[in-house]
Order: sequence, then C-alpha cells, then structure tokens
Amino acid sequence: MSGEQLIDIVLLTLLASTAIAIARLRNLLATAMLTGIFSLLGACWMLFLDAPDVAFTEAAVGAGMSTILILATLCVVNAEEKPSRESPIALVAVLLTGGVLVYGTLDMPSYGDPDAPATTSPITRIYLDSANAPSEQEEGHAAGSNPGDGFVVGIPNTVTTVLASFRGYDTMGETAVIFTAGLGVLMVLAGARHRRPDPSMEIEPEPVDEGPGK
Amino acid sequence: MKGYLAIALLGILVTMTLALVRATLGPSVYDRILAVNTFGTATVLFIAVLGFFTGRPDFLDLALLYALLNFIGTIAILKYFKCGSLAAGED
Amino acid sequence: MDAVRELLGWLWIVPGATFCVIGGIGLLRFPEFYSRMHAAGVTDTLGAALVLIGLMFQSPDWTVAVKLALILFFLYVTSPTAAHALIHAAHTTGHEPLLADDPAPAHEGDIP
Repeated sequence: MSGEQLIDIVLLTLLASTAIAIARLRNLLATAMLTGIFSLLGACWMLFLDAPDVAFTEAAVGAGMSTILILATLCVVNAEEKPSRESPIALVAVLLTGGVLVYGTLDMPSYGDPDAPATTSPITRIYLDSANAPSEQEEGHAAGSNPGDGFVVGIPNTVTTVLASFRGYDTMGETAVIFTAGLGVLMVLAGARHRRPDPSMEIEPEPVDEGPGK
Repeated sequence: MKGYLAIALLGILVTMTLALVRATLGPSVYDRILAVNTFGTATVLFIAVLGFFTGRPDFLDLALLYALLNFIGTIAILKYFKCGSLAAGED
Repeated sequence: MDAVRELLGWLWIVPGATFCVIGGIGLLRFPEFYSRMHAAGVTDTLGAALVLIGLMFQSPDWTVAVKLALILFFLYVTSPTAAHALIHAAHTTGHEPLLADDPAPAHEGDIP
C-alpha cells in the first residue's frame, strides 16, 4: 500500500479511537479535551483530502472556540457524567437511524462521475470559465507580480473564488449565523449561575478513571 | 514521493497517537491540557510537512493560524481553571 | 541541487520527527505531571525547530521560507509561555511534584 493510503488509514483510525474514547470516558473535562483533539484530527484529515478552506474553519471553530465554550459550560454543570442505564431501545433507534442514513448515501454519485449533477450543470462551466478568465486590461502591467494577476476576479484559487466572490452572499449569511450562535452561547453562559472557584475542592488530581474498554 | 517527508509524517502521526493516549489516561486535568498542547504543536508540524509532501506550500498559512490558536486555547483553558469563569480579571 | 536538497532533508527533517516521537514516548513513560512537562518541551522546541528548518531548505521560494521562519518564531514565543502558565496553574492549586526522596513511586496514569 502506498504512503498516502497508510497515512489515510492512520488518520481515520485515530479519529475512530478518539470518538470511542469520548463516548466511554465519564469525566466531562477529559471529554472536552478529547473533543478538541478530535477537531484537530478532522482538520488534518480535511487538509489531507485537499480542502484547505474547510480545514481552516474546522481548526479555528472546532479546536479553538468549541473547546473553550464547552469548558465554559462545564463551569456551570457537574464535571462528572452520571452513570446511565443501558437501554436496548436506544441501541435499536441509533442503529435504525444510522442504517437509514447509510442507505441514503448509496444514492450519491460516485467520486468523479461524469453524469453527476455537479458536472453536467451549465453553471459549473460558467463558474470555472469566469474564475479562470484572463483580464483584458493593462498589458503593460508585469504579469505575475501579484498572485491574482491576469484573472478577472483576482483570486488565484477557484474554490475561494466561488466561496468569496460568486457566492458571496452565502458566505455572508454563514458568517452571520456563526456569529449569532457564538453570541447566543455567551449570553446563556453569562446569565447562568457559576460555581465559585474553590481551589481546595475543584482542581485536585482526579482519581484514575476507567480507561476505554476496560 | 519524497521518502524523508513520508517518514516525517509517520513520525508526527506516532507522536499524535502517544499524546492521545496520554490525554485519555492522564489522571489529572493538567496532564490532559499538556497532551492537547503537544497535539496542537504536532498538528502544526503535520500541516507544514503535508504542504511540502503534496507539493503545495500554501498550507503554511493554516499552520501559522493554528500555532496561534493553540496558544490562545491553552491560555483560555488555564484562565478558566484559575478564575472559574472566562471573564477577565483575577480573583 | 536536488541531491543537496534531498541530503539536507534527510539530515534535518528525519531527526526532527524522531525527536517528536521521543517527546511523545516521554509523555507516556514519565511518572508524574511535572516530569512529563520536560518531555513535552523536547517536542515543542527541538522537534519543531529541526523539522521547520529542514523544510526551509526545501522551500521553492523565499516567501515560503519566511513563513516557516514566522511559524518557528511563534512556536518559540508561545510554547514556553504556555508551559509556564500550565506549571504555575498546577503549582498554585496544590499539585505536588514527586521528589527524589519520596518513599512510594507515583506512576500515575501509566499504561496498565
């Protein structure tokens, strides 16, 4: 197997083991840290799949903000999850939902399919041609002095052109949604009653908790 | 592809695995914060080496961003533990 | 030129990755928190420096080398600060270090 496949397999195995550890650990502080690690691994994996824009977002939101917000929430609630009874109905419900979702993905077009709607739609051709269209102005201007020189839109990457220029309103809406969500969470946490910090009680080394799969 | 970059990628992945085990096991919360910090540094190195491995050094912007975010995240976590809330100001 | 780059790559990047792994092994094997901090410091400084300087030799353009130098600079400024903050927080909340003359070995959280 080639080196790239090996790296892919290792990354996915790490993702799966982190998810199992998050599900099995009962200490919520530990799961908050592991959630940060999970987002970091996701960002690495998206970068490996050649998607830097998504990896940017995942690293900034998932590993940075989300961990901090989860910790701020833990400030208000118990730091230890109560043991829950195992329920067979829950397992059946989860398996059913997962099975239906997997069945739905079988309908998706395969990777690089020439008959996929994204490939045959006329908009695709318009976007790709406009993003890479050379600009007709300023022939005396030295080409290549800026990365976006020579293109009409001026952004060197096609994906970024679609995100930031052709679908700019979508991006603005997404930014507004994320900002509102962040504001809402902060307002909820500001109004909640905080436990007073008590160094003798709160932050002593916790007893060794159950390892995953013990 | 270049052999030394592939070996470096695998070495950094091994470091990530070790940090992950420590984050799962570490009995005190400080062990876990340390493990996440190490994992963040390993991620920065992973992104930098991956950029050269795939022949696109433009990924370095992402590594730069993450080096700063890692630091801010660690300090925010410690500030939370010190003050009990994320509000500024020392007790 | 390519042969020189490949040689520099083998000389700098592979030892850098090795030091990262050594730091990770120390993170797992040391008995308690304060000593694990030392091991993590190896990864942060020596591992990162060797890998990033090795990548600087591979860069196709001077702008890429400047970005790598910036990443190294930020890592060097922020890692010791974060380490200091972490140890200060641990110490002021009463986390005791394991001393040489302690009777029982701690080995908290070792792999069973």
